Amino acid sequence: MKALRLYLWLVLIQVRSQMQYRVGFLLETLSVALGSIISFVTLALVLQKFEGIAGWSLGEVAFLFALVELSFGLMDMIFSGFDPDYFAAHTRQGTLDQYLLRPVSLTLQIFGSQFILRRLGRIFQGTLILVYAVQLVNIEWTVGKILYLPLVIAGMVLFFGGLFMLGATITFWTVERIEAVNILTYGGTELMSYPMTIYQDWMRRFFTYIVPAIFLNYYPSLYFLDRPDPFNMPFVVRFIAPVVGLGVFLAAYVFWRFGVRYYQSTGS
Amino acid sequence: MFFGASEFDITKAQAHNDATKRLSQVVIRVHDLHKYFQVPIRQRGRFSALRSLLVRRHRLVKAVNGVSFQIGRGELVGYLGPNGAGKSTTIKMLTGLLVPTHGEISVNGRIPWKQREEHVKSLGAVFGFRSTLWWDLPVIESLELLRYIYDVPLARFKDNLREFRKILEMDAFINTPVRSLSLGQRVRADVCAALLHDPSLLFLDEPTIGLDVVAKERIRQFILHANRQRGTTVLLTTHDLSDVEKMCQRVMIIDRGKLLYDGQLESLRQRFGGKRELVVELVDEEDQISIEGAIVTSRQGAQVMFQFDRDQISASELIQRISSNYRIRDLSVREPDLEATIRRIYEQRLLEDAV
Repeated sequence: MKALRLYLWLVLIQVRSQMQYRVGFLLETLSVALGSIISFVTLALVLQKFEGIAGWSLGEVAFLFALVELSFGLMDMIFSGFDPDYFAAHTRQGTLDQYLLRPVSLTLQIFGSQFILRRLGRIFQGTLILVYAVQLVNIEWTVGKILYLPLVIAGMVLFFGGLFMLGATITFWTVERIEAVNILTYGGTELMSYPMTIYQDWMRRFFTYIVPAIFLNYYPSLYFLDRPDPFNMPFVVRFIAPVVGLGVFLAAYVFWRFGVRYYQSTGS
Repeated sequence: MFFGASEFDITKAQAHNDATKRLSQVVIRVHDLHKYFQVPIRQRGRFSALRSLLVRRHRLVKAVNGVSFQIGRGELVGYLGPNGAGKSTTIKMLTGLLVPTHGEISVNGRIPWKQREEHVKSLGAVFGFRSTLWWDLPVIESLELLRYIYDVPLARFKDNLREFRKILEMDAFINTPVRSLSLGQRVRADVCAALLHDPSLLFLDEPTIGLDVVAKERIRQFILHANRQRGTTVLLTTHDLSDVEKMCQRVMIIDRGKLLYDGQLESLRQRFGGKRELVVELVDEEDQISIEGAIVTSRQGAQVMFQFDRDQISASELIQRISSNYRIRDLSVREPDLEATIRRIYEQRLLEDAV
């Protein structure tokens, strides 16, 4: 309870200091939202020309795209403190010490150390496209689907959050952030925005067995859109998104704890 | 930087006695402490970036190399040493930020890095250049947040805050965001924050660095206050010898990872102080002055300065000899300044056999 209150307190501090420059904040949020809407409009125009991708209609691809956008935006806000681009500064300047001097979990303090509110722009944009997609596709909503949707989003937040945490932890060794991890995170969002059938087999296998991204957005979407599975996996894999997300997050968390211990034994 | 006998105030001697009484209760125990760092060697020449990525060569730096000491409850200890001597590394291990390569540390009976959260609850720490407060928050809100983090009872918090605000003169900036504070104000806020939860231990790493004389004095007064009135055990690292002279009875000197001296400030002065000076103002101006056991280093009218060796002649004996030949109006004994003493220790490594 105390941890939760402290977390909310720390986030509130972040929010308040970002709101001090209200006009700047609004403009930035708006430009972020506009930026990704434009990229979606481009995609939509192309899709209309070709009448979909790999048998997926515009609305169906928009659904995939929107779900990733929304989840990644949420994650980018909640996990701001672990964003490797930002976290690398901690290891470079040794500012982690001030957190380690407080009798509170380091992880909680990093979560509370940054909360970038302008990510709302991306969340807003994702929601907008999601609503648009649902209109286009005419999804048959069942109780199961309604209950599962937030779990899928949570799964993706945990998955991308885990990747952020992984990238942050690596800076304990490298000091500088590593581009390869960014390729995974940002490349992952791109990849997950399209039906998996458009990729080559080796790539799909990589994102099935090495980085299990396929289960987070693609398979749940097959369920929401009532589409058949071209890869003949068990039906149940449409429902494992939250478990996979949690698994990736927990693995990243264990690695993070290990990294912190390494940092304490070597840091200067 | 003179330290005349008249300046040696009684409160300091008093505090010294109290400290020896409490010494029976050891709160910090450090035994054979080592900390080594692997520092990558930058390679030069063609493809240097690629080569250093592929073949990482390291140099082993022994930042702390076999340090042992004990600190008793209520002591105020100065930890001295040049840049890179190992002071901060020691403090970081004591506060649980770093894990030693080898050796033992026990603080309040705990091993700092193993029980980090428990450990840091009972200590306060100030790292001179770095603030632990929230940049965008007004000072008072940072302090309130810390109250929540450390579970300080409200009444206790209010009492402490009232007291600290007064001594540190914080009223003028208590509602100012930390980012807009001057360095002096910021350090005051940090020191206040470090003590709000009544820690039994206070670690200060260069607390007065970069401050003006007035701000330094205020910080020193506050540290002394915490040490005497609250019995807080204090360990402070510093470059500034006047910090040590004004606050500490005991000093530890470290250089290149090894402890060179650990003991009373006074005995350091006595053992390694070298020459003392006696300034005498005579009633009459004399043409020729010579006294056995001392040499005249300067003369200004009736004022004569003698230099003498403490091992060869005591001050009182010298004064007797002078007064039997000349009429003295006034006199004072000057101790050699501490800075010169310590410089001699570093340069000549006088203490290496002594410890």
